[in-house]
Amino acid sequence: MITLTNLGKIFRTELIETHALRDVNLQVNEGEFAALTGPSGSGKSTLLNILGTLESFDSGDYQLDGKSVKGLSDAALSKLRNEKIGFIFQSFNLIKDFSIYDNIELPLRYRGLNTAARKQRIEQALELVGLHARRDYLPGQLSGGQQQRVAIARAIAGEPRILLADEPTGNLDSLMARQVMELLEQINRQGCTILMVTHDPDQARRAGRNIQIIDGQLHDSTLYDPLAQHTA
Amino acid sequence: MEQLFYYLKVSWFSVKRAPLPYMLTVLILSLGLGVFFSNATFYYRMNSDPLPDKSDKLFFPMMMLVPYQCSDCKPPSVLSYSNVAKLAASDIPSAKAAMYSADGYLRQHAAQPPTPVTVRITQRDFFSMFDVPLLHGSIWADNQARDELLLSKATAEKILGRTDVVGQQLLLDDRLFTIIGVLDDWQMLPKLYDAYNRQYLNPAEDVYLPLESGYDYNYLSNTNSSTYDDADYRKLATDGRTKAIHQLQYWVQLDTPAQQQAYRQFMANLVTDEKAAGRHPSPEANQLVMLRDIVRYFGGESADIKAFAIVTLLFLLVSVFNASHLSLNRYLSNQYEFSLRRALGANRSQLQMQLLVDMSLMSTFTLAGAAIIAYGCTKLMNSLWPANRLFASWDVQLMLALAVLTLFCSYLVTLYPSLRASFGSLNKQLKE
Repeated sequence: MITLTNLGKIFRTELIETHALRDVNLQVNEGEFAALTGPSGSGKSTLLNILGTLESFDSGDYQLDGKSVKGLSDAALSKLRNEKIGFIFQSFNLIKDFSIYDNIELPLRYRGLNTAARKQRIEQALELVGLHARRDYLPGQLSGGQQQRVAIARAIAGEPRILLADEPTGNLDSLMARQVMELLEQINRQGCTILMVTHDPDQARRAGRNIQIIDGQLHDSTLYDPLAQHTA
Repeated sequence: MEQLFYYLKVSWFSVKRAPLPYMLTVLILSLGLGVFFSNATFYYRMNSDPLPDKSDKLFFPMMMLVPYQCSDCKPPSVLSYSNVAKLAASDIPSAKAAMYSADGYLRQHAAQPPTPVTVRITQRDFFSMFDVPLLHGSIWADNQARDELLLSKATAEKILGRTDVVGQQLLLDDRLFTIIGVLDDWQMLPKLYDAYNRQYLNPAEDVYLPLESGYDYNYLSNTNSSTYDDADYRKLATDGRTKAIHQLQYWVQLDTPAQQQAYRQFMANLVTDEKAAGRHPSPEANQLVMLRDIVRYFGGESADIKAFAIVTLLFLLVSVFNASHLSLNRYLSNQYEFSLRRALGANRSQLQMQLLVDMSLMSTFTLAGAAIIAYGCTKLMNSLWPANRLFASWDVQLMLALAVLTLFCSYLVTLYPSLRASFGSLNKQLKE
């Protein structure tokens, strides 16, 4: 589903060049739940941004469903993001003066769905994250965990095939973090491919696969048995 | 339509998020536009063509028919009665009228206190040449002296309380005149038939009297008159038709280029005849000035009005620049939301559409603000310069111009910020 070939990314300033990613080769299959781990500044978020087409890359190739995203127009990239990719951010990124319903509706608005179709998808997403009763609340009226569930609902409402999560539990306490992880696992079980940046080794173990990045290079790809981990 | 309402809702939320900077942006832009527009209204009115179908057909002939010699003089703008008679001898013009203005007092009867009025003393073609509309009655049958006058609609209402007054008699300076016509609402703006000495800024006259009667009853010009030799301008009734008392403005209607050429030739021939008779000591300096060029010819264009127009334009530019700066701050503070929308699938066109609606909302507020400020400025100008009040009126065309200008300025104010917002980096904003 996702194929990266010799992918490289360089950040340039007037004085220095920083190789954020070097010769990254990666294959992610449909339905996988992969954790991206590594020290701070290693390039995890950069890789996630490139996978989400939020950032361009300088060398190599990125193919999504067998098609290169290189050279795609802004409109094509936006369509791809809107239809195939869902984002979950560490700081939730909800619009604070929009209701929960309006926040979840955001990506659906740009897909051109009619009111009824949008409503149906929002209701389903709210049911899944268990916040149906709070659809008219503002984000500020919810706890951090609930806000992240809203963000997850927004990410899955468009029924994307890939979910990119950048430290989704980074701002949550352990109980809420566990709830969010359980929710992500549930979504993954329904067939959605998930790539998640995390610093938490336990969460990395719960994912089916751990992709380690150090100094912009992929060092290890360890496959865990999530069932074994759960049992332990 | 639903998407439009959504965009409006997003804009409104954005306004509510930071109302003060938004209001300041709107206020600054409104101020610039309002001040500019109030001045532009005046400038536009002053430079508008009051007779677009005729302004290239009406001409003001001038000749050096004076009893002195001057080799580099412009011909005088006013003519003597006998000079007008010489110019009027031609049948080339399809209409012609001599005129001047005077002051008088009007009343119904001797017991009533007199009302001061302005009087245009002219000939019958004046009404057709300058498209003067008639509400009741008729104009004089010919150019002979007669004790008949026409009133403006406002004067009829003021003196007699109604407009259907044809046949009634009035005292004009204690002389009895019969009303033969009442004009409909009419205000030639600018009043180009009386362009000399910036009279074109003044309203149209209250009363219209035959030229011959004006001379017979010794109505002296209230604007410009020159006398030569032993002529006395105060003895219009006795010397006016024979001596060199120059006070008449003269207009001719020349509908075709052939007529215009023929009339120029007529004027040239007249100079030859006058020179032969010893009445034209100066070199030929004939002028045939078109109605639309008359203000410029007399140098009546006001430098202070032009300067003020430039100052207000500069003020508008400064306002646009300041509003743009404020707008940029507003958009940068909303950059996070733009990035989020783009991350979730909005393309640049959709974002630009959102910003276009945002701009339209700002334009609406700005237009309302600008109209209020322009109205206030116009009122202020009218109170400071009451003589110019006629030029401060608005119409649909002017209001549309204000709306278009507001839209354009709002677009300028939001153009750069919106581009910055659309092309901003996505990942940086979303990571924070």
